Amino acid sequence: MKNTIKKYSLYITLALLIIFSGCKDFLDVEPQGKLTQENFPVTPADALLATNACYTTLRDWNYHSGGFPILDIMSDDARKGSNPSDALSTVGPYNDFSFTPTQDGLDRWWTQLYVGIKRANVVIEKVPEIAMDDALKNRYIAEAKFIRGLLYFDMVRAWGGVPIVTTTDPELNLTRASAEDVYTLILSDLKNAAENLPNTSDYESIDVGRATKGAANALLARVYLFRGDFDNAETYAMAVINSNQYSLEANYIDANGINGNNGSESVFEIGALQVGSTSAGGNQYANTQGVRGTPNKGWGFNRPTENLRNSFESGDPRVEGTIIDLGDVIVDIEILGDASTPDETYEDGNLVEVECYNRKVWVPGVTTISNWGHHRRLIRYADVLLMAAEALNENNKPTEALVYLNMVRERARGGNEDILPDITTTVVAELRNIIYRERRHELAMEGIRFWDLVRTGRASQVLGPLGFVQGKHELFPIPQSEIDISLGNLTQNPNW
Amino acid sequence: MLHKIQILRHLRLGAVLTLILVMAISVVGQAQQRTITGTVTTSDTKETLPGASIAIKGTTTGTITDIDGNFSLNVSEGQDTLVFSYVGYETQEVGIKERDVVNIELQPTRVSLEEVVVIGYGTIRKSDLTGSVGSVKADDITKVTASNPVQSIQGRVSGVQIASPSGTPGENPVVRIRGVGTFNDASPIYVVDGVILNDISFLNASDIESMEILKDASATAIYGSRGANGVILVTTKKGKEGKTIFNFSSEVGVQDITNKIDLLNGKEFAKIYNVIEPGHFNNVDAVSNTDWQDLIFSRAPIQNYQLSASGATEKMNYYLSVGYFNQQGIIDKSSYERITVRLNNVYHLTDFLRFGNNISFAPTNQQFAPNVTFQAYRAQPVIEPFNEDGSYAEVPGVGNPIAAIEYSNSYRKGLRGVGDVYGEATIAKDFVLKSSLGIDAGYYKNTSFLPVFYVSPQQQNELSELNKSTNENTSLLWENTLTFDKEFGKHYINALAGYTMQSIRSENFSLRGENIIREGESFWYILPTNILDDGNNVNTVSSINNTVNNDYYYSLLSYLFRINYTYNNKYIFTATFRRDGSSKFSEDNRYGNFPSLAVGWNVAQENFMQDFRFLSRLKIRGSWGKIGNEKIPYLARFSQIQNDIISIFGVDPSTIAAASYGLLGNSDLKWETTTQLDIGMEVGFLNDRLTGEFDYYHKVTDDILLALSIPGYFGNGSGQRVFFNAASVLNRGFEINLSWRDKIGEVKYGFTALGTTVHNEVLEMGGTSGVDSVLVGGYLANGQAVTRSKVGLPIGSFYGYETDGIFQTQAELDASPHDSQAGVGDLRFVDVNGDGIINNLDRTFIGSPIPDFIFGFNFDLSYKNFDFSLGIQGQTGNKIFNGKEVVRPDPYNFEAHVLDYWRGPGTSDDEPRPSFGGYNYSPSDKYIYNGSYLRIRNIILGYSLPEAWMQSVYIQKARIYIKVDNLYTFTNYTGYSPEIGGDELSTGIDNGIYPITSVYSAGLNLTF
Repeated sequence: MKNTIKKYSLYITLALLIIFSGCKDFLDVEPQGKLTQENFPVTPADALLATNACYTTLRDWNYHSGGFPILDIMSDDARKGSNPSDALSTVGPYNDFSFTPTQDGLDRWWTQLYVGIKRANVVIEKVPEIAMDDALKNRYIAEAKFIRGLLYFDMVRAWGGVPIVTTTDPELNLTRASAEDVYTLILSDLKNAAENLPNTSDYESIDVGRATKGAANALLARVYLFRGDFDNAETYAMAVINSNQYSLEANYIDANGINGNNGSESVFEIGALQVGSTSAGGNQYANTQGVRGTPNKGWGFNRPTENLRNSFESGDPRVEGTIIDLGDVIVDIEILGDASTPDETYEDGNLVEVECYNRKVWVPGVTTISNWGHHRRLIRYADVLLMAAEALNENNKPTEALVYLNMVRERARGGNEDILPDITTTVVAELRNIIYRERRHELAMEGIRFWDLVRTGRASQVLGPLGFVQGKHELFPIPQSEIDISLGNLTQNPNW
Repeated sequence: MLHKIQILRHLRLGAVLTLILVMAISVVGQAQQRTITGTVTTSDTKETLPGASIAIKGTTTGTITDIDGNFSLNVSEGQDTLVFSYVGYETQEVGIKERDVVNIELQPTRVSLEEVVVIGYGTIRKSDLTGSVGSVKADDITKVTASNPVQSIQGRVSGVQIASPSGTPGENPVVRIRGVGTFNDASPIYVVDGVILNDISFLNASDIESMEILKDASATAIYGSRGANGVILVTTKKGKEGKTIFNFSSEVGVQDITNKIDLLNGKEFAKIYNVIEPGHFNNVDAVSNTDWQDLIFSRAPIQNYQLSASGATEKMNYYLSVGYFNQQGIIDKSSYERITVRLNNVYHLTDFLRFGNNISFAPTNQQFAPNVTFQAYRAQPVIEPFNEDGSYAEVPGVGNPIAAIEYSNSYRKGLRGVGDVYGEATIAKDFVLKSSLGIDAGYYKNTSFLPVFYVSPQQQNELSELNKSTNENTSLLWENTLTFDKEFGKHYINALAGYTMQSIRSENFSLRGENIIREGESFWYILPTNILDDGNNVNTVSSINNTVNNDYYYSLLSYLFRINYTYNNKYIFTATFRRDGSSKFSEDNRYGNFPSLAVGWNVAQENFMQDFRFLSRLKIRGSWGKIGNEKIPYLARFSQIQNDIISIFGVDPSTIAAASYGLLGNSDLKWETTTQLDIGMEVGFLNDRLTGEFDYYHKVTDDILLALSIPGYFGNGSGQRVFFNAASVLNRGFEINLSWRDKIGEVKYGFTALGTTVHNEVLEMGGTSGVDSVLVGGYLANGQAVTRSKVGLPIGSFYGYETDGIFQTQAELDASPHDSQAGVGDLRFVDVNGDGIINNLDRTFIGSPIPDFIFGFNFDLSYKNFDFSLGIQGQTGNKIFNGKEVVRPDPYNFEAHVLDYWRGPGTSDDEPRPSFGGYNYSPSDKYIYNGSYLRIRNIILGYSLPEAWMQSVYIQKARIYIKVDNLYTFTNYTGYSPEIGGDELSTGIDNGIYPITSVYSAGLNLTF
């Protein structure tokens, strides 16, 4: 028996040795069927996936200033819209500048912009390590830098200096960088993008919609213009024009409409499909603003104001290209509108609002889903021409400026020589205001007006009566939830 | 004589069974020289002992005593010692030199002198126990007719709360031991014959010998990272020494709903409708009156059968059984059917080596009905169920519940195999080495089919739809333990060291197809050629999904130690330590240590107590320890890639795949740790006729996993959170168990009473203000969340408006803060924050779903051949949120209390003017009900047929009984049952559950 016991003891000892030596691996269990940040992106195919993901951010509902077109609503071009009670307490405060740091939407906008920045950082940080075709690699990185520059520009305009994240693994207690530092990053990103991105015409047809050299240059012009750097604004706007990649759509409607999707005027746009979900390829941006009621194309937010309508020059057909009125018939579809929305709204005896909708997000069809297919234009050529005109004029080249200004007016005229005559003045100060006016009319309801008023110092003059306070409303408040989570590392903007 | 022949026959049967089990017992023939005979009796009762083993020392030869305790054994020359043994008695060696007759008395072993309690990785005398352990024995386990044996603990063990989330056949109950210790999974673990599992739905109650509920740290620390929510040890039946015993039990019953909800009838509904919309019904007497509850519920049968054979020979113990359980639901198309097969064997290979197995298989077959209870609750009683042409009528807003049943086809087939095989060796004196391999394997297949149908625009299906899914999971557990057990002088030491490994794996597969070529069951296969698209072209399968179950894919590796030391039967000391490593955690946090210390003092053993003869037992014990909870999502530590996103490019825009960094993980995650203190006292009076056990427990769970906000610049996106070990929860309370057992003449009776108090409180959350200071949960059918967990309040407390009567007059309305929608006759919400307006900020805590007292009372009595037992259980102090009542934007039926509605100043101060939805239905304390109840859990009356009758039909024992489960529940709640389970954050919310039933049954137990 003793021998037997010895034998068993030997077996047991051996068995224990085996299991003890094997135990380290035993507890290493990888996630199953799940990519993790440790094993992505590592292949050339991964690099493309990661690059594509940067664009997906732009179709997210929250990317559009937290879901609602508050930038137009805050301007003199639009009011909250929808029916009077809908989102009165959430979107309403943007209409009269009563919003607060806890206002609905601000946090969603802030966090979504950083989602896009993270995705761009993944490409910028990880793709260089992947062994692959260098040209393609540089293009991917340039695409990501374009997106990162675009998003940081949205942030710096909205909030001034924000935490700068350029890595996939940021510190936990970041503070706000200066606006100057943010601009340094934006300019560096966009210049790198402009250098490495192909022209629109160099892309295969399946890649149309990706960032281009022209888009990067146009965005640079927009950034410099926002900073009052007219020399550089001129340089980059002219680079777009001289690239000969773009031209105006013959029809103003097509500049934002379905026929102009990825068209000659589109410098950078957000592609979308007509499906009722973001994850399947739709974009809710136009659904948020679509005709409410009959046909039921959306919620009807962002209603053009009477102030905007009345500001157009006599006979300017762009009024119809901007505003849908009740009774309009658009390709056989009659606009009947919404029963819960009053046809006319008065304030202090003045007619301030009639039931109308944003024409620029119209997509043919009577279904809600149709509007999800709207391709939102972030930069179009008419804007580039007007930026060039403005920069040239400010750089004391009014004659050259007139060329580009009148190109825009000519297209708007639509062949009707009785309206919108060519501008001829070369008085810089006079021309400046004419260009401002042209920008308002050409680019109305495209989220540009508010920033134009702010950057040209006219905001308090124009928007003061609506509640804008100088020294405060040039910037949005940092979302209170972000300040709370940061345990005080993030400071609030002045006067909020 | 006949009797003995019978027994022999059964012994032969036993041998046949042994063959079936592929157990060859070799009987080595010996050259015989003489025959030793004798009788074995017990030293305590002086009764003869059948089935005792007699072996010739140094050989494998032996025999067992017959029914009268006699034996006869041939021995060869030189064989001079016999070894007598019997379970529960000291083994005795007797010299047989010059003896032909050996009559001996066996002494009961020390352990069997008193109750032995099963604890983790061993057993212990109850007097040596320092932990808090509740126990339920076989007789009580079968008293309740239920698919899951854990139901039998309800009302029988203090500190345990058991609630059924619904009466759906086959549904597992929610079990909470000593409160709710986490926001995550607060369920206990089960250990069946050493195999660690998450549930015991595969067990037939009749196969269970005992269930022990380990409650305090001293008892649970040996399970380390899995002990924090308590441990339920299940020991299945084993063969007992002696002849083969057959047991047959059969029970047949009928289930019925315990009560109907008092809803409006057609006429009442029409009247209320007319109050809301005057003139809607021209003639309220002419409306139809459909009782939807009557239409969806019907009485349904329940059956349970079990046949077992057990016994032991010298070389092996065996227990085998087969069982069948079948429960039809009281809602058509719901049922649960289960076969159970069990084989428990122990093979005594040599005197130092044993092998054993406990193996069970349980095929199950389950059908699910749609949730028509909620539909029937809301369906208007003025609608006839059928149109004149016999088709299903449209029921506005909710759909026709009978049609919903008709078109539902949802099945789940399962096969669960649980078992273990072990070897056990006495490797040196007092040392036992055991190695055991446990398996828990489950395979499930779900099939659901929705045909094409049209009832109404809201209730229709245009394309037939077939969903199939399978999931398989396997847990392999290898445990190696070394036990040392020795008594010397006044010292008794039992020590344990062990090493265990467990790997848990799972895989799911699901397929979905639409527009199947035929509707019949024979076409319920996902075959691309049978799946057509809109144009009747062959389509592809529309959805494929193949993943693992994220809660069931990990590995564990553990070291365990325990020492139990008793001095002079008076002073007891227990130390336990377990070190667990889990793949759920990153390498830095992979291992956790879980220690426990406990002491006990058997005061009654002290000399100074000897004068207090009435006090038969007095023990004081205390324990402290840290135990863990690792039932947390294993993916939480990994930073994931989001690859369900797409981008849109192209002149002809199309979807292009995209992927990037997604949700951020937290690689610093570690175990939730519970520190538990327990102080207990056990007393026995009058020779233990009256016994009592009292415990105070104090449990603090720290590092509870909570999803918290992180700064937006991490790019996690709006509302996305990251898990952190952040929160703390306290559970404390008292437990009391009293038991009286006595005999008056031929009447034997006993009762036990038990009670538990629970104080549950969140001590710490992720933040002190803002979104991280509260955890939102408890979702209603319309998505509203009605619970909040917050510091200072119980987990999952109800949250809503506080009401203060009804606005009686316009003047009162005008003078009070009120919501813009409130009118005269509506509920008055309290302006909790005193800012003069009623809005979201005035919502407050309006009740806790956690009972503060849980009780049970059990009584049993036997007189001659009759036996009777009564079980009562209940709880007080918990609240119920009647969620089904508030989800109503449209004209649905009402509960009858709406008839007492406010009709003008002074007419009612709690029932507002009727409305179909809106303001008055905002979640408020109007819909909070007192969840206290007392339930007559079961009543059993049994009669054992006289043995004399039975012997003529070769039956040893026969008992017949009748029984009622859930006969009546005393409660103020208006729903089907005040016992409403749910996950940690949504307990006590009644969203319209499948009702729990009363069961009236009759049964038969036979032993032969």
